[in-house]
Amino acid sequence: MSRTATGASHAAHGAYVFRIYIAGGAPNSVRALASLYALCRQHFPESHHIEVIDVLKEPMRALAEAILVTPTVVKITPAPELQMIGDLSDEEEVLRALGLPQTTSG
Amino acid sequence: MSVKKRARFIEKISTGIEGFDEITGGGLPRGRTTLIMGGPGCGKTVLALQALVNGATRHGAPGMFVAFEENADLVEENAESFGWDMAGLQKKLIYFLNAQLTPDVVKVGEFDLTALLAGLEAKAKEMGAKLVVFDALDVLLSLLDDPAAERRELYRIQAWLKRTGLTGILTTKIEEDKSPAGQRYGFMPFMADCVVRLGQRVIDRVAVREMRLVKYRGSPHVLNEVPFVIGAAGVEVGASNGVHPEPQPFKMRVSTGIERLDEMMEGGIYRGTNVLITGSAGTGKSTLSGLFLEAACRRGERALFVSFDENTRDIVRDLASVGVRLAPHLKTGLLRIESVRTEAASSEDHLIRMKHLIREHKPACIAVDPFSALVKVGGELAARNVAERLIYLCRNERITALLTSMIEGTDVTMETTPLHISTLADSWLQISYSLHAGERNRALTIIKSRGSKHSNQMRELIFSNSGITLTDPYTAGGEVLMGTLRIEKENAVRTMAERKRHEIDHKRREIELILAERDLRLVGAQRDLLDCSEELDSLALAQITSTSERTQRQDAVVRKRDDKLVREQANGAKPAGGKPCKRSKAGNEQP
Repeated sequence: MSRTATGASHAAHGAYVFRIYIAGGAPNSVRALASLYALCRQHFPESHHIEVIDVLKEPMRALAEAILVTPTVVKITPAPELQMIGDLSDEEEVLRALGLPQTTSG
Repeated sequence: MSVKKRARFIEKISTGIEGFDEITGGGLPRGRTTLIMGGPGCGKTVLALQALVNGATRHGAPGMFVAFEENADLVEENAESFGWDMAGLQKKLIYFLNAQLTPDVVKVGEFDLTALLAGLEAKAKEMGAKLVVFDALDVLLSLLDDPAAERRELYRIQAWLKRTGLTGILTTKIEEDKSPAGQRYGFMPFMADCVVRLGQRVIDRVAVREMRLVKYRGSPHVLNEVPFVIGAAGVEVGASNGVHPEPQPFKMRVSTGIERLDEMMEGGIYRGTNVLITGSAGTGKSTLSGLFLEAACRRGERALFVSFDENTRDIVRDLASVGVRLAPHLKTGLLRIESVRTEAASSEDHLIRMKHLIREHKPACIAVDPFSALVKVGGELAARNVAERLIYLCRNERITALLTSMIEGTDVTMETTPLHISTLADSWLQISYSLHAGERNRALTIIKSRGSKHSNQMRELIFSNSGITLTDPYTAGGEVLMGTLRIEKENAVRTMAERKRHEIDHKRREIELILAERDLRLVGAQRDLLDCSEELDSLALAQITSTSERTQRQDAVVRKRDDKLVREQANGAKPAGGKPCKRSKAGNEQP
């Protein structure tokens, strides 16, 4: 599911690696996935990696990784790891959590 | 499970929790949702976990525990403290899930519980789980921070439970009240098929746990508030409204420890029944308890003495002073004395403790002294309920029980007990103080003795260094005499008897004297009689003798005369000179 090169190599170069847990085609999951791609394209166009895990297909994995809700987005690198829950509709909160500059309108 | 069957009646799964299955009429609704609600520290988690553990250990039914609030390790530790083998169970029968979100999780919009439910569903399939516990659902819901979302997720869980066919237990801290939270989550009970509300109240400064089945869809159940405890082995519910099987008591009798009391009761107490002894302070209830158990130990039976508010050493010492020796039996282990502080726990706790003691020690005879101490803690209603259940327990376990009950005041006519258990008790002895002639004496009456004839007379109970006994009844003027009055009466009776004996002796002696005199007289008279007869005899003899002499003389004269005649005739002329001489002589003798 990687969109660019492997996570490890990106991590080595200070790239942004995300893992997103979704529940099939649930509306909030679809929204979250779309928002994440958009965010990565906008802020880290050349160095990002997104791993998508469908909990309906890999339910045991979600359990093992203590993922309770969908959608859940985990920023793996750069450290520290960050866990966000929700459909990423609260853009301001997302940017603040990631330490990115607030988007100026327009 | 066929659809038809499901439509007809609710299938239940036993929780294995004592009393809980009783009030729910068999346990939790299978394949449905049960909500356990109550304030913090009410025992929600323990109750849910216990149902899970029992399901696994007793029925081999695997289950899952989802901990939203407490860390699973903590829950596990807690469970181990009740003696549940969590480590062993977790290998295949119980799955623990730590479902706490780390505090630094950032909420960035709308989310739902699909991940959790999908994961649990897969796990349930893998392990064949039948039961799932969502512990502290309120914590999960508070994450959602939006009433609409909360409601939506609850329905999601409900739908998920229905679809998977799992039996669900949800616990929540939310209370049904007028508070904002209460109103916000007020809909929760409507979602569940069975709602259990746990509470805690303080009565007379003693905390009492209570449970109420607010709702049980499609099933009859006990609606009343019932007490429960969290004891050493987990939750135990004090259900009492069921019908108790009453085993037939043994036909054998057990000694009360007082021979004369046994006699009054036709040989003692029936084995497996119970005796209530009522009396005011100091009437000797504890002593009778001790005697009863001492007698049991002497027969080689195991005995248990539950004493409220008196320590073992004091009991042993005090009873030894009236000749009841418990120490040797304590040493052999036949006897166990359990000293309980009344105020340390609620009456329900006390019952549970006694229940465990009975299971541990397996006594044939038990004494609880004073049983009425239970009233002191947690209210009379609860105490009465506990008292009833202890009696039923003893009956079922075939333990012969002696229960004492304090009666305040000295009104001997007051034949009521604080616990109103007198109707339940098989036998009822009352010890009262009888006030007469400036004395208090202990009087024992058998008020009731089920299934046997018994003396209805009041007897005096006497305690002394040599032991305890009952006196023979002394009645006078329609009253039973006791104490000094009895002693006086005894003395009077003794004196009377003595006097009577003296009188008889005297009379006898008198008669003997008369008899002796008469004898003497008789002897004298006999002697007189003899003398007289002897004299008479001698007289008669004398007469006979004299008669014969005369005859002989006459014969001789005749003979002589004849001889002379013969000679004269022969001589021819012999003068008859001599003959007249002789004849004159004879004539002189014969006037």
